[in-house]
Amino acid sequence: MSCKKDEVLAAVAKAKGKVPAVEIIDKGLAAGMNEVGVLFERGKLFLPHVMMAADAMSTGVAELEDEMAGSGASAKLGVIVNGTVEGDVHDIGKAIVSTMLQAAGFEVHDIGRDVPLQNFIDKIKETDADMVGLSALMTTTLQGQKEVVELLKENGLRDKVKVMVGGAPATDAWAKKIGADCYAENASEAVVKAKELLL
Amino acid sequence: MGMPIAHIMASGMTGIRAAGDLVARMQFDKNMRIGEAKDFVAKKLGVSTADLSDEYVMRELREELDIGVITSVPGCAKGIAAKMNIEKLLGIDINCCDKFREITG
Amino acid sequence: MATEYFLRMGDGQKIFMTKEDIRADIEAGSADAADLGDIPALTEDQMDKMLDIIISPGRIVGVEPGMEVPVTHDIGAIRIDGDQGNSGVGIPSSRLVGSMMHERAFGADTMELGHIDYSYKPVKPVISQECQTMEVCQQNMIIPMLYGAMPNMGLYYTPDGPFENPGDLMKAFKISEAQDSIFHAAEHGIRDMVWIMQRLQHVGCDGVNFDTIGAAGDGDMYASLNSIEALRKEFPGIYIEAGMAGELVLGMHGELEYDGTVLAGLWPHQQAPLIAKAGANVFGPVCNTNTSRTSAWNLGRSVTFMKAAVEASTIPCHVDMGMGVGGIPMLETPPIDAVTRASKAMVEIAGVDGI
Repeated sequence: MSCKKDEVLAAVAKAKGKVPAVEIIDKGLAAGMNEVGVLFERGKLFLPHVMMAADAMSTGVAELEDEMAGSGASAKLGVIVNGTVEGDVHDIGKAIVSTMLQAAGFEVHDIGRDVPLQNFIDKIKETDADMVGLSALMTTTLQGQKEVVELLKENGLRDKVKVMVGGAPATDAWAKKIGADCYAENASEAVVKAKELLL
Repeated sequence: MGMPIAHIMASGMTGIRAAGDLVARMQFDKNMRIGEAKDFVAKKLGVSTADLSDEYVMRELREELDIGVITSVPGCAKGIAAKMNIEKLLGIDINCCDKFREITG
Repeated sequence: MATEYFLRMGDGQKIFMTKEDIRADIEAGSADAADLGDIPALTEDQMDKMLDIIISPGRIVGVEPGMEVPVTHDIGAIRIDGDQGNSGVGIPSSRLVGSMMHERAFGADTMELGHIDYSYKPVKPVISQECQTMEVCQQNMIIPMLYGAMPNMGLYYTPDGPFENPGDLMKAFKISEAQDSIFHAAEHGIRDMVWIMQRLQHVGCDGVNFDTIGAAGDGDMYASLNSIEALRKEFPGIYIEAGMAGELVLGMHGELEYDGTVLAGLWPHQQAPLIAKAGANVFGPVCNTNTSRTSAWNLGRSVTFMKAAVEASTIPCHVDMGMGVGGIPMLETPPIDAVTRASKAMVEIAGVDGI
C-alpha cells in the first residue's frame, strides 16, 4: 500500500487494460483507502497521509474514467453534505470525518461549522445529496441535529436523505430518539456506516 | 456536580478535611508519586499513611499545627497564614507566601 | 436463569448482564487497548478484581481505607456558576465562592481558577481580572490553587484566528500549507500561554493546568509541551499539570516533534515520558469512553491504558475521569454507581497517583 500519487498512478497504469476498471477501483484503490482509514484510526498514519492517499485515489479514478464510461459503471459512492450545527464552532472532528468520507470516494460538501440549520437543507437540495452529516460537540448544540431532522421532514426530504449524527455528546440512543439513521463514534465508523446506508 | 463529589467520596483524600492538600502539594512540588508523597507527609506529621485520610486524626492535628481546618474555627490560621505554616511543616516554598513576604518586607 | 447484574452503557443507560458476559466484556476492552497501544492486557487476577468491583451490590463503592489519592479538580468553579446548559449548575456566585465551596464543602485536594470560556487565548484581554481574582483566591484558600484553561489551538485558525484553517487547506490538498498553518498557530499559542502564566505567577499563583492538550491534534500538543518547557525554565517552582484531551494524539500535522519524538500517534504511555521531559509535575492521561459499549468494556480498556501510562511515567499520573473519559459514561449527570466503580478500579488496579 502507498499514499504516494506517482506510485498509485503507476500501479493503475500497470493494471489498466488487464483488469476491469471497476475491479481496479474496488480491490485496489478503495481497498487501499480502507487500509489507510484503519491505520489513521490506529495512530499509524496521519491526516496528511490520508489526504495524499485521497488525492492519489481521485487521480487514479480519473485515469480510469474512459473505461468506466464504457462499462456504464460509476465510481461515485454518493453525495454527502457535512457540517457542524448552528451555535457550535467546533470544526476539527467534523473536518476529519469529511476528509475520510472524501477519501473513501464519496462526494463531500463540507459546509463548515456554526452552520445555520436552513443551510443544510439548501445545500442538500443544491447538490441532490444522499446523506447529511450533522456534528455537534456540545450538549447545548445537540438539539440542532434534531431540528435539522425536523426540517428535512418539513421539506419532504426525509425519505430521500439519510441522516448521520456525531460529536462527543451524541450517542446511538440520541440518534434513535431524534429519528436519525445512524450515529458514528469516529471518522472511520462514519465511513463504514455511510457505506452501509448508501451502497 | 455529582461527579467530583462522587470521586472525592470514593477515592479522594478529602483535602483539608484530612491531609489531601499536603499530599497533593508534595506531588506538585517534588514530583512525588503517591506512595512517596504519603510517606513524606506522614513522617512530617508523625502519623501513619492511613491516618492521612482519617478525619478523626487529622482534624485535631491540623488545628494543633495551625495549618487550616475545614470549619471556620475562630482564631485558626486561614488562607496565606495557614499556607505559611504548611511551608514550615513540609519544608517547601509556596509562591503566594513568597509574594506576601515580598510585600510586607 | 443466570443471575444478572446491573451496569451501564457508555452513554449511561442501565443494562443487565450475567457475570460471564461482564467478564468477557472486560477482557475484550482490555484486549482492544493492548492491541492499539501495544501494551500488556490486564492479568486474570486484575480482570477478576474489576468484575468484583462492577458487580458489587452497593450503589456506591470506594477504595480500601489507606488507598485514597488526591483528586485534582479541573474546570475551575465553572461547574458551580456556569449556566451554559452543560455541566455547570448555574448557581450565581463569584469564582472565589465557587473555589472555596470546592475546598470547604466538597473536600477537593486541589483547585484551579478558570474563566468561562476556559481557553487560554481569550484570557489575554482579561488578564488583569484573572490576576486580581487569583490574588483573592490565594489569600483565602489553603489547597493548591492552579490557573487552568485549554490550549485550544482551534481558536488560532480562521474564522476565529489569524491562521488559515488547516482542515480547509487539507481538503484542498494543500498539505504543506496546512502544516505551515498548524506550526504558526502553535508558535502563537506558546507565546500566549507563557505570557498569561508569567502574569499569574507574579501574583502568587501556585501553577498551571494545561487542560485537554491535543484537542486540536499534534500542533496543540507541540504548543503545550513547549509552553511547559518555557515556564519550567522561567519558574523552577511552578506547579504544572498536563492533562490530555484524548487517548491518541491526532496527527493533523503529522511531522511535529518534541525531543526527537514525532507527536502524532502517541498513546498515553508514550505521551507520559514527553510530558515529564518538558517539565510538568503531574500528567493527566485520558482514555475515551465508547458510548456504544458497556461500562465493563470501557473500564477494561481504560484501566489497561492508564496502567501502562502509570508504569511508563516518571511523574505522578492524575488520570482524567470526567464526563466521557476514564470509563465514566458520556452523560452530563454520570450515574454515581458507574463513577465510583470506575474511580475504585482506576486506583486499585491501574495504580494511579490521583484523579
